[in-house]
Amino acid sequence: MTPPAKTKFISGKMPAALVLNFRLPASLVVAVLCACGLTITLLSSDELRPPAVRPLAASVHALVGGRVVLKPGEELERATVVLRDGRIEAVGKDTPIPADARVHDMNGTTIYAGFIDAHVSFAQKGSGRAGPMEESTSVGFRDLTAGSGADFVGAPSVAGVSGPDSVVTPQRRMAREHAPDSKALEALRAEGFTAANVVPDRGVIRGTSAFVSLGSSDSEEAVMRPDTFQHIALTVPGDDPRGAADNNRDVAAYPASLMGVLAVVRQTFFDTRFQADDAAHFAANPNARPRPAVREGFAALQPAARKRIPVCFEPGGMLMVDRAMQLSRELDLQPVMLATGQEWRRPDLMPAAAVTFIVPIDFPEVPKLPDEDDWVAVPTDQLRAWDQAPGNPASLRRGGREIALTTHGLDKPDRFRVNARLAIARGLSEADALAALTTIPARLCGVADQLGEVAAGKLASLTVVEDGRYFDEKARVREVWIEGRLFPALPKDKKDKKDEGDAEGAGKPDQPDEKKVNEALRGQLTDAPAQHDRGPLLAPPAVFIKSATVWTSGPRGRLEDAGLLIVGGKIKAVGTITADQVPTEAIVIDRPGIHVTPGLIDCHSHSMVLGSVNEGTLPSTAMVRIADVVNSETETILQQLAGGLTVANLLHGSANPIGGQNCVIKLRDGAGPEGLKFEGAPEGIKFALGENVKQSNWGDRFRQRFPQSRMGVPAFHTNRFTAARQYAESLAKQQREGGPPVRRDLELETIAEIIKGERLVHCHSYRQDEVLAFLRVMEGFGVRVATLQHILEGYKVANEIAEHGAGASAFSDWWAYKLEVYDAIPHAGSIMRERGVLVSFNSDSSDLARRMNLEAAKAVKYGGTPQEEALKFVTMNPALQLGIDRRVGSLEPGKDGDFVIWSGHPLDTMTLCQETWIEGKQYFERAEALRRAGERQKMRETLLAKAKTLAGQDPGGKGNEKAQDKFFHRALEDRQNHRCLDCCLDHKMSWTN
Amino acid sequence: MDKLTLILWTLLLPAAGASAETLLLRGATVHTVTNGTLTPGDVLVRDGKIAAVASRIEEPADRAIDLVGLHLFPGLVSASTELGLVEISSVRASLDVQETGEFTPEIESWTAVNPDSELIPVARANGITHFVPVPGGSLLSGASSMMAARGWTIEDMTVRRRTAMHLFWPDHSLRVPGPKASEKVKPLDEQARERTERIRVIDRFFADAAAWEKRRPDSPVVPAWEAMLPVVRGELPLVVHAQGLREIRAALKWSATHPRLRLILDGGRDAWMLADELAQREIPVIYSEVFTLPAQSSDAYDVQFVAPAVLEKAGVTVAISEGSGGSASRQRNLPYAAAQAAAFGFSRKAALASITLVPAQLHGVGDRLGSIDVGKDASLFASTGDILDIRSEVKHLWIAGTEQSLVSRHTRLADRYRSRPTK
Repeated sequence: MTPPAKTKFISGKMPAALVLNFRLPASLVVAVLCACGLTITLLSSDELRPPAVRPLAASVHALVGGRVVLKPGEELERATVVLRDGRIEAVGKDTPIPADARVHDMNGTTIYAGFIDAHVSFAQKGSGRAGPMEESTSVGFRDLTAGSGADFVGAPSVAGVSGPDSVVTPQRRMAREHAPDSKALEALRAEGFTAANVVPDRGVIRGTSAFVSLGSSDSEEAVMRPDTFQHIALTVPGDDPRGAADNNRDVAAYPASLMGVLAVVRQTFFDTRFQADDAAHFAANPNARPRPAVREGFAALQPAARKRIPVCFEPGGMLMVDRAMQLSRELDLQPVMLATGQEWRRPDLMPAAAVTFIVPIDFPEVPKLPDEDDWVAVPTDQLRAWDQAPGNPASLRRGGREIALTTHGLDKPDRFRVNARLAIARGLSEADALAALTTIPARLCGVADQLGEVAAGKLASLTVVEDGRYFDEKARVREVWIEGRLFPALPKDKKDKKDEGDAEGAGKPDQPDEKKVNEALRGQLTDAPAQHDRGPLLAPPAVFIKSATVWTSGPRGRLEDAGLLIVGGKIKAVGTITADQVPTEAIVIDRPGIHVTPGLIDCHSHSMVLGSVNEGTLPSTAMVRIADVVNSETETILQQLAGGLTVANLLHGSANPIGGQNCVIKLRDGAGPEGLKFEGAPEGIKFALGENVKQSNWGDRFRQRFPQSRMGVPAFHTNRFTAARQYAESLAKQQREGGPPVRRDLELETIAEIIKGERLVHCHSYRQDEVLAFLRVMEGFGVRVATLQHILEGYKVANEIAEHGAGASAFSDWWAYKLEVYDAIPHAGSIMRERGVLVSFNSDSSDLARRMNLEAAKAVKYGGTPQEEALKFVTMNPALQLGIDRRVGSLEPGKDGDFVIWSGHPLDTMTLCQETWIEGKQYFERAEALRRAGERQKMRETLLAKAKTLAGQDPGGKGNEKAQDKFFHRALEDRQNHRCLDCCLDHKMSWTN
Repeated sequence: MDKLTLILWTLLLPAAGASAETLLLRGATVHTVTNGTLTPGDVLVRDGKIAAVASRIEEPADRAIDLVGLHLFPGLVSASTELGLVEISSVRASLDVQETGEFTPEIESWTAVNPDSELIPVARANGITHFVPVPGGSLLSGASSMMAARGWTIEDMTVRRRTAMHLFWPDHSLRVPGPKASEKVKPLDEQARERTERIRVIDRFFADAAAWEKRRPDSPVVPAWEAMLPVVRGELPLVVHAQGLREIRAALKWSATHPRLRLILDGGRDAWMLADELAQREIPVIYSEVFTLPAQSSDAYDVQFVAPAVLEKAGVTVAISEGSGGSASRQRNLPYAAAQAAAFGFSRKAALASITLVPAQLHGVGDRLGSIDVGKDASLFASTGDILDIRSEVKHLWIAGTEQSLVSRHTRLADRYRSRPTK
């Protein structure tokens, strides 16, 4: 065989430019290489190098006698692979050995295509950029003082904002920053990796990854593809469970909540498209309009926005995977997903096969706990997560999805094979595992023409394993070849040898091999499937309650000895029901003494929200949406169903005068976030007044954000509504008359919807002065406020509230927890009702939401509201306030079959909620709930026993603190226990066991 | 309305002193707590004490009040509260609930109760005649007092200056690594050593207190040790505040080595897990966690509702409280915590006792308060129905035989704004 002409060309025309370290700009090198139609970076051994520089190694090799895995599922025994000038020249059983080749005996080895890790971060710990933030606490103060007009930037962290606070840095390019430590490269090669996609590790929109060869720490030489993906982390900066570099970020900076992060992503993509459109308009009208600003970040985001490169989403929790998929559809992006490790929780919510997952296998391990009683405090969810984790790769693969495995999240890459074996023990096939290291990541990263298979023409990157196949326990990586260069594995260090000795000792035939037994135990799934005990208990075609005291909460009032018939999820009849009306397949409930009410409705809840319920950084966060962060997994759903609750108005907190958008849900346990949403419920938004928004109780650091007094609150509202009106006008003008495009502003767009009457305002309000001031400002913009929330002094201005037409969603009897509620009285609900205000009682608490019927009873006690009217405070009235009264709130034919069966009078403290039904499906039944709890308790005991057996053990045989730390990390979906009333600042999650 | 209120007050005030008259409360359903329910029954009050309880009392009285259709209950006793020590929880200047320092046994809570707190009449209006303000703290915080919900001065109000010593058991939870790499935590073993050390600190303090008992009579007085004396002698109960299983178990283990101490457990979220041991060692529980959310996602939804029933079944004496933390303004809801427990299996008898007789007994005034019995203080109230039912309204309330106003900041404001013209 003669060397290909191309090689000659290179050695002739490009005399060792790279090797001699003539620092050519990388771009030029790439350009030259591209011009040659090649991406070869290594030169042949006949290269002439300066004296005293070691001549280059042989560039023609024959690897003879090994088992060659051409690609997953296709192998040749005792085959030959010929490498020439960095490429595979030939591979086959009878491939002749070229005369000029250096021959390598590969007997007893298995040769794979070089492994690829699609997600590697070479973050330098403690690097300057990740340091603590500046002292200034005036978050976006500059942008947020009143008077900023239509240019007000709702999201100051859009691309282009420089400095350490920026979480939007799409312009960061790992191709430029790539400068890995040679030890880090060595560690990856030791596990068989030959190439990797190096990812940025900070912020929300993080920048682009670069696909690199692991054969060199010189970025110019190593980078194979400069911009593989744009990376977007759907996690609050500083709260990355895999420890991103910006964990020290100031929590007072926007975005500080998950919903804020999503708003930032949306706004940034809109801004990116706007910049392009605006530039195009400027190019067409260069002399007729202001020159647009050019922001580097938006330009850098264009390829992702135009789907030219994929977006790699890094969700901070399992439900955020689903959210990332919806965001991709909304923004027309091409998604790649970094698995959270928690996908096993909801396989049904995971995207279909079209999306590739990059799957970390950083499984948690159980640490030893000091005392036996410490186990009692271990959350059940953590035990489940630990038990389920190794099955996650198989679970993802089962859906037909392609997966690529990564070392990401592992303390040291040498855990990789250990955990990969665990994943295989839990059902991942070896062929899939191998594909996840070769063909899949090659295709995913756009290098399938160069890497991923052992085939002629591909780059000579190979992984060579001896003593078995890669995933065999005894096997070890002997060497890797990267583009024709040999990297032998380093001899094992002493520590490893010692471990090996231990392992041998443990393996003596006359002793029970505890290590093996434990490994086998870890390799088994103990837990039941994640969703096995969630979801409706009964879903009959029809339900018939034969005789009960029926509180209709409708015009017919309370009916004694009445029937209720639900067919197909809707109420068919109430009152006297004849036998012929009841379908034969109906479930019949015939119990004496029961009372039936409509499903209870909570007009103010923060219970099923992922992450913080406040984006409390900016004074207006109209762009954030609770709908982005609905938590369908929390057990509070079950606890509230057990109290008869069926509908909740999930609200943003009260930390700012204009908070985020709300989301009304039905407690359809077992559904995903989208399935919980009350379809067709009018959109709304949370506002707030008083102590919380002026940061009275936040501490001395918070004295700069506008407003700091009750005087500033109406001024601020006026400012934002004026800006929104101007924004709407400029949009209309642009549509009418053309001209420069108008930047889409999610904050002002939302407020403009309020002015148009398309969005309900739910305003947290306490003192009578602020209430009137607020109502008058809103009236000035033609807005009727939907509800005043809590409205503790509403009884003082009940006339005005009634006249305005706002509803009152009140606390029953809370008072004196802060100065502005010193005049709160429990008679408020009754007094407001007497004066014509539509009144509801809300919970604002995951506890109170479990007994809203008893809250309603307080309206009877204080102020003498009649009992049926009091019950309406938690049924019909909140339904009216939320604009969902056509479907829920009362038991009337045609409405949804949402009802509660009580053991007695619903306002009596001795009464138990027996059953809760939504749309004709039974979601709670007391005996079944207790039976399920018993089973969960049993499972907990089983998991605890397993955890105690394996505590401190490690399948890898080495200490692994990071994996044990991970055991304590609570899943985002499990991290909530909302109890605070009048929520303005979330308590920091305390990490205790 | 305001005028009427004033008139009522002036009528009542002269009676505020010890009244020598006799008062006959006629015809109510009498819930005695100790001797069942009389339907109906009469109660005779003389010199501020209950002189007779019977289905029919023929004895003439200076004054008789017809309570037909109403229910007569002994005054509710709030076993553990911040009432009186807190006005507005977010305003620091209005808080007198917690001292600094780890060992302050000489503190007595009655000294800082504000007789004019607006919160006291609010609690009283729903049947609370007595309450026990507990000094908060980080370890051994001081002594609680038994206060009547009326009086011109703290001395008028104080029924007993020292009812129990309070020990807030140290938190046994371990700090574990969160996602933030920057937040380092100590190794778990080291933390375990530290918590053992915390118990040793308590242990040494009690050993020193016991040693002081044997001091020479001429040695100088140390108020703190003096205050500990009745505790180590078992004359004054030691209330240990603990919620989790670890804390409760550790406190039980520690106290087993101090047989003279009279232990009461306060909080007791996980006490149901140790019900048998608590029963066997006759340690009562002031349970404040009825409305706490289940600690584990695998727990039954009603685990905290059911806990009093579990304790009762095992034979543990149970008082129910709204909790001593942040609860000053919520005291009026005390009966509903007991009601929730009753709905979930706690016997009605125990539920009523848990907010009347039991707390009175635990705080050493069981001979004076907590039931409608001859010889006890005439601290009782009449309501339109069962006090465990939210819809019931308190119509009359007496403390030591004197009828109290049921007017509060809330009724005043309600009356005032109800009188606002509707336009």
